[in-house]
Amino acid sequence: MADVIQLPGVTEQLKLIAGLRWNLLKNNLQRKNNRWDLIGMILAAAGSASVVVGLCVAFYAGAYFFLTTGRASWMPLLYWAIFLWWQLVPILVAGFGANFEFRNLLRFPLSLRAFYILGVGYGFADFAAVSSLCWIASMLVAAAVGQVRLLPVMALASLLFVLVNVTLERLIGSWLEKIFANRRARELLVGLFVLSVVSMNFLNLAVQHWGGRGTRPRIVHLVSYFSWSPGSLAGNALAAASDGDSQALVLTVGGLLAWLGAASWLLWMRYRAQYLGEELSESAAPSAGKRGARKQTASSSLPGFLSPPVAGVMSKEFHYLTRNGFSFLTLIIPPLMVAFFTLEFAGNNSQIKEHGLAPQLFFPAAMAYLILILLSPAYNSFAFEGHGIQSYFMAPVRMRDVLVGKNLFLVCVVIVELAISLGVLVWRIGFPGLPLFLSTIAAAAFAVTGQLTIANWSALSFPKKMEIGKMKGQRNSGVAVWTAFGVQIVIGGIATIVLLAGGWFGNPWLPAILFAGLTAAALGGYVASLDPLSALAERKKELLIETLCR
Amino acid sequence: MIEFAGKGVGKRQNMHEIAIRTEQLTRRFGALTAVDSVDLRVNAGQFFGFLGPNGAGKSTTIKMLTGLLAPTSGRMELLGLDFQRNPIDVKRQIGVVPEGMGLFERLTGSEYLHFVGRMYGLDGPTTEKRTTELLEFMQLADREKTLIADYSHGMQKKLALAAAVIHGPRILFLDEPFEGVDALAAGALKSLLGRMTERGVTIFLTSHVLEIVERLCSHVAIIHQGRLVAQGSLEELRAGIPGVEEEKKTLEEIFLSIVGQSGGEQARLEELTWLT
Repeated sequence: MADVIQLPGVTEQLKLIAGLRWNLLKNNLQRKNNRWDLIGMILAAAGSASVVVGLCVAFYAGAYFFLTTGRASWMPLLYWAIFLWWQLVPILVAGFGANFEFRNLLRFPLSLRAFYILGVGYGFADFAAVSSLCWIASMLVAAAVGQVRLLPVMALASLLFVLVNVTLERLIGSWLEKIFANRRARELLVGLFVLSVVSMNFLNLAVQHWGGRGTRPRIVHLVSYFSWSPGSLAGNALAAASDGDSQALVLTVGGLLAWLGAASWLLWMRYRAQYLGEELSESAAPSAGKRGARKQTASSSLPGFLSPPVAGVMSKEFHYLTRNGFSFLTLIIPPLMVAFFTLEFAGNNSQIKEHGLAPQLFFPAAMAYLILILLSPAYNSFAFEGHGIQSYFMAPVRMRDVLVGKNLFLVCVVIVELAISLGVLVWRIGFPGLPLFLSTIAAAAFAVTGQLTIANWSALSFPKKMEIGKMKGQRNSGVAVWTAFGVQIVIGGIATIVLLAGGWFGNPWLPAILFAGLTAAALGGYVASLDPLSALAERKKELLIETLCR
Repeated sequence: MIEFAGKGVGKRQNMHEIAIRTEQLTRRFGALTAVDSVDLRVNAGQFFGFLGPNGAGKSTTIKMLTGLLAPTSGRMELLGLDFQRNPIDVKRQIGVVPEGMGLFERLTGSEYLHFVGRMYGLDGPTTEKRTTELLEFMQLADREKTLIADYSHGMQKKLALAAAVIHGPRILFLDEPFEGVDALAAGALKSLLGRMTERGVTIFLTSHVLEIVERLCSHVAIIHQGRLVAQGSLEELRAGIPGVEEEKKTLEEIFLSIVGQSGGEQARLEELTWLT
């Protein structure tokens, strides 16, 4: 028999897990490249902390105002905001935490009860939970200061609300883990999620266009169905206590208890399934595809003047783009957003007809937006290579060929995107005149060539592994993000000055000429940078391989 | 070190041509010397086994010999070319199945082979033809449209091997090539590798399965704690171990006699009374 005399208690196990998470984070930061990443994380953490503290003040002020002016029935608004934050943010920013699969703990001799308690306890350790607790605490302080008689009810409602939230968040997380274990489902859901986020922008326009007068009452009617949601129940408990309506108070608190019971039962069942050995891994290999005539690969149809390695890299980039749902969506989103901006701020159908933006502003602004979105991945262009990065160093090619292949493919993508977006602009708000049109194109050429050199340096110096179809941890390294940010500000500043110069000197062609000159200079710099970047890749190959093959 | 190099029997025409030669090859990671002054010598056409316990420096040596890792000091010469001075020319002549296999998981098998062919400078039609033939040989033709991410481990290994030979290399570096490969495919692979050595291709192989090395390799080197401790043909290695009849010595016995039998293991085993 094994020599396990006595299993550690739940408190001891919580301490062990906290220690494990800390060691994972600490050891991860010992890598040289990750120290730079730490700086980025510290900056991000400082920014996040200031947002949380600022919102603490806002929640305090909101709760104080509602409770002291007899508007306790508005409290659901605050709880709703926290509810949405708590449930949605863990999905979006989970990557900032140490990468740790909670299920892995099941290899140890834990009881199901201990596993459940640890799971719920683990839910209090993420950013959304901590920030939500801060805001709820702020609201409780507001109640203590402004309406102390409501404090006991608010404390009870808030406690139940917190327990419901943490249980729901763990429940959603465990379901997502199950669904995302399948690659195809993972990619499909990520795509749907991003599309749904983008489509939210069009909601207001759709309501304005098709809704008519009857929409508002229908929405108000729909809202009434949400009165049984945790946010509404917690807020309404306060309203009931404020009105002295004990029946409503019992109902709302009972509703929260029902939520807690249902969520706890469902979470228990999920953890039980995991505990009993639920298999989440993907099947080793799906059934074979049909054999048939071999389809010509993309590189076979690339222009003959490209060297085989450059053509090979471009072909590989094309396949990766079409199989990366998230990246593919970034191509659909810019033209959609340009269409949205034109609907919202310009043209005959604009919501703000009297003050709609002029085409002269719209063309450069849309171009800047496109470059901003499309060039960002170039700062971590090896992110999705995985073990494939070794191929570049094993093959008889210099890194300049790989960079040129990647950059050429990106330029092709930018050209297609610009063409579609400019087409949308011309259709929606009209042609802005040849000088401005050419200036915009030349500015785009300058912005792309100007950024590629530094983006290549960033991609080689600060690589960060990313995985297709996963949302957790999918971000560039902190340094790469700040580098991209800085370069885009500088290039945006130069472009603005050049565009304004045309107006100052009364010559509408001047920006196009200046941008053409700047593009030529940037192109020269780009070509000159390729050999030094090849040498840099040789020096950084161990870092690249270690980071991307991890 | 037990030095046997030079005593080998040349059984092929080009056996006297040296395919791989290292001089004082060293790699340090901070205070740790992973590979320490290794002098390797592998003749062309040899099926060469590179052995060592975990952490001995095998993969580090292979990574240096294939350009994935820069040496701290020392010299590497492949097919008479100095690697540091002619990395591109050397890489044209070698094929590699590295640790981790180096695959792009979001390509299909056929797309990956096509990509590798282009990276080695093959033209489109040649790449296409070889891709088809290799997929057939590796029994992957019915999976040519399946993403590599959806391949089993063994199928990925076969694909990595196909990619390593698509350009017809003169030296093939294989890091644990048979790990996860089924017996049927392993048999076909061994035949292929045997045919390649008959044509003068040098194969440099690492494996923890000593029976495979014993069956396939004509020459062996053993690395231990970063240092090369033995090198030569199997016969020469057997002859170098005293006390046992030569024909009865297996490679495992030779290996253990060189790297494992310090006597410390038995003492350490005694300490595990709670387990044994």
